[in-house]
Amino acid sequence: MSVATVQGGGGGYVERAPSGGRGGSLADVVELILDKGLVIDVFVRVSLVGIEILTIDARIVVASVDTYLRFAEATNRLDLYAKGGKDLPELVEGITEGGTKGGAKGKTTGMIEAAADKVGDVLDGIGQQPEEKEEAPRRRPRQRSREREE
Amino acid sequence: MTPTYVYGLVAADTEIPEELPGLGPSGTISIITHGKLAAIVSDVPADRPLGTRDDLIAHETVLDSVAANAGVLPMRFPAVIEEQGVVAELLEPHHDHLVEVLAGLESRTQFTLKGRYEQDAVLREVLAEDAEVRGLQETVRALPEDAAYYDRVRLGELVVGALEERRRDDAEHMLERLRPTVVDAVAHQPANPDDVINAAFLVERARQREFEDAVEELGREQAERMRLRLLGPLAPYDFVPAE
Repeated sequence: MSVATVQGGGGGYVERAPSGGRGGSLADVVELILDKGLVIDVFVRVSLVGIEILTIDARIVVASVDTYLRFAEATNRLDLYAKGGKDLPELVEGITEGGTKGGAKGKTTGMIEAAADKVGDVLDGIGQQPEEKEEAPRRRPRQRSREREE
Repeated sequence: MTPTYVYGLVAADTEIPEELPGLGPSGTISIITHGKLAAIVSDVPADRPLGTRDDLIAHETVLDSVAANAGVLPMRFPAVIEEQGVVAELLEPHHDHLVEVLAGLESRTQFTLKGRYEQDAVLREVLAEDAEVRGLQETVRALPEDAAYYDRVRLGELVVGALEERRRDDAEHMLERLRPTVVDAVAHQPANPDDVINAAFLVERARQREFEDAVEELGREQAERMRLRLLGPLAPYDFVPAE
């Protein structure tokens, strides 16, 4: 079988990068290569050949108060449970079926979707959600802000 | 004395792509062969420390380019040795051991899978399932921002905890789904609370397509909740045996 060097192959649900360096981010590269690979005692003292090495700080870690506040904020942005404590499916059901549960699923699908859109709009309005609505789930460039430069 | 940078080792008969970008002033790489082994090497910048963004990327690009079609044993960044030492201290004395290690990686390549939750979707799940989070959310909303400070911290802490729990299950599930298509897997601790998975997989080249299809399938199933990114084929960074 031929071995394909796949580049962005497949059906598009998974973002592809041939490697961290080409098409990935610096954060990817750092995570991939730092502290990994063969070490042999001859390399122990690179200073022997007079080479200076920059210290590279690999990773940021979580669980600070800032992190908590960020997630509290993100949670508060969701207005789903704020007014009256109903979740989206319940609301949609109420709107489209006027109380009758089950049945008629196929027929009301269109209506449910329309209603879901409405509800979504309203929620967006209330929740001042920043634009980022669902686009097709594929290759959105990752947040560059997370990269750590040199 | 000429310092030489060593990227990695390959079998002596490996074809190395010609125009790989070295990190030294020459901008190229070369090969030093000894017995059944070859070292991929280059010159080293003399006027600055190693470790810049470009250095890291060059190291990885050289290795991954070779890894796309052949087995390669990556050196740990940054491996610098005096030129004569490449044979005298590396290839010659460790020859048989390194040949053996390379043989084990020959037909294999690494992929690294990273996944991140769609924040709103997963936070909705947390809210739906966790009454304490819901209650706290309402408390926080009812108070002015500064009055609710500790409640907000507590809310965030609960949410982060809930995400971690969820991630454990999700990552476990994904690893289990992919395991039948791989030789080995290593899961790393994700760096952010909304990361789902950061795992390396050692894959038989002959089964690469099968593995990729399995990942794609996961991506499709989880499209509402998370975004997956697959890096590779890569040099087997996570599968170099400890010396």
